[in-house]
Amino acid sequence: MSMHLYAFGSICRGEIDAGSDIDLLACLSEPNQSIDPNKFSIYTYERIRQLWHEGNPFSWHLHLESNLIYSSDGRNFLNDLQEPSKYTNATIDCNKFQKLFIESHTSLMKSSNSMIFNLSCMFLATRNFATCFSLGMGRPIFSRLSPLLIDRKLPIERDIFDILVRARILSTRGYGNPISEVEVRAARSAAPVVIQWMDDCLSKEVFCE
Amino acid sequence: MSEFNNRISAQRDILLLINSAEWSEELYGLSSGAIERWITANNIKKQSALIQLIQEAASKLFFLSNKSQEQITDEYRMLSKEVQDLTEKIKREVMEIYNWGQSKIK
Repeated sequence: MSMHLYAFGSICRGEIDAGSDIDLLACLSEPNQSIDPNKFSIYTYERIRQLWHEGNPFSWHLHLESNLIYSSDGRNFLNDLQEPSKYTNATIDCNKFQKLFIESHTSLMKSSNSMIFNLSCMFLATRNFATCFSLGMGRPIFSRLSPLLIDRKLPIERDIFDILVRARILSTRGYGNPISEVEVRAARSAAPVVIQWMDDCLSKEVFCE
Repeated sequence: MSEFNNRISAQRDILLLINSAEWSEELYGLSSGAIERWITANNIKKQSALIQLIQEAASKLFFLSNKSQEQITDEYRMLSKEVQDLTEKIKREVMEIYNWGQSKIK
């Protein structure tokens, strides 16, 4: 069985803090029960080649921010694939993430049930929007802080954004202190700014599509 | 709607059902870390029917997330239907907790 293991994401950017996890990728020729799906993103070689062919944002993320940690054949599979196809889906992807943000915000405004999950989805939508937007503009930023780092920066304070980041870590890893009512209100008040920022990004920029 | 957004929506539906009951701490997500935290915070038996259903739904949603977002295969449709069925079963379990109290799962 052929296997290539990679580290990717924050650890490759040196962005390490208590909330960071280590993103690991396993590329396999066939299923392997010894690879824990809770620790690794597991892909077949065929699926990775497909993502490369599509120019999927994840292929660009791996191309730009991954490091080989094990190879069963001495080769570097991802490096050998060279550059992924051009990313041409920025408008569709950004619209999809804006929709996710609006749905999550609507659910948050409707009731106090599952507030942290909804805040977590608002983070996911905002981060993915910024990442796809920056990739579409030809200057990709994959950091979880991408909305605050791209050229057309999200105009909210870092401490408000950090509430959304904490919600995401609680939801995906079960780690961290719960978010208080005051913090939820602060994050909720920033939502219209995020929606307006997404509208502005989509109306004023022309992607390299 | 995109498959990505559909999966988030399916996850939200399950969480809204579970969190409609009264817990010491609500369930924050369907990741293994969030489920473990919720079990500990609420002192729930791991072998209870509710936990088994939640873990099964989480596992199917996780599997779907590793599938192509564009290709709608028969397998994808089948798993989506299974998630819907599990959501119904979770609803019934939560209703029983309402009717009989939390001793059912502790």
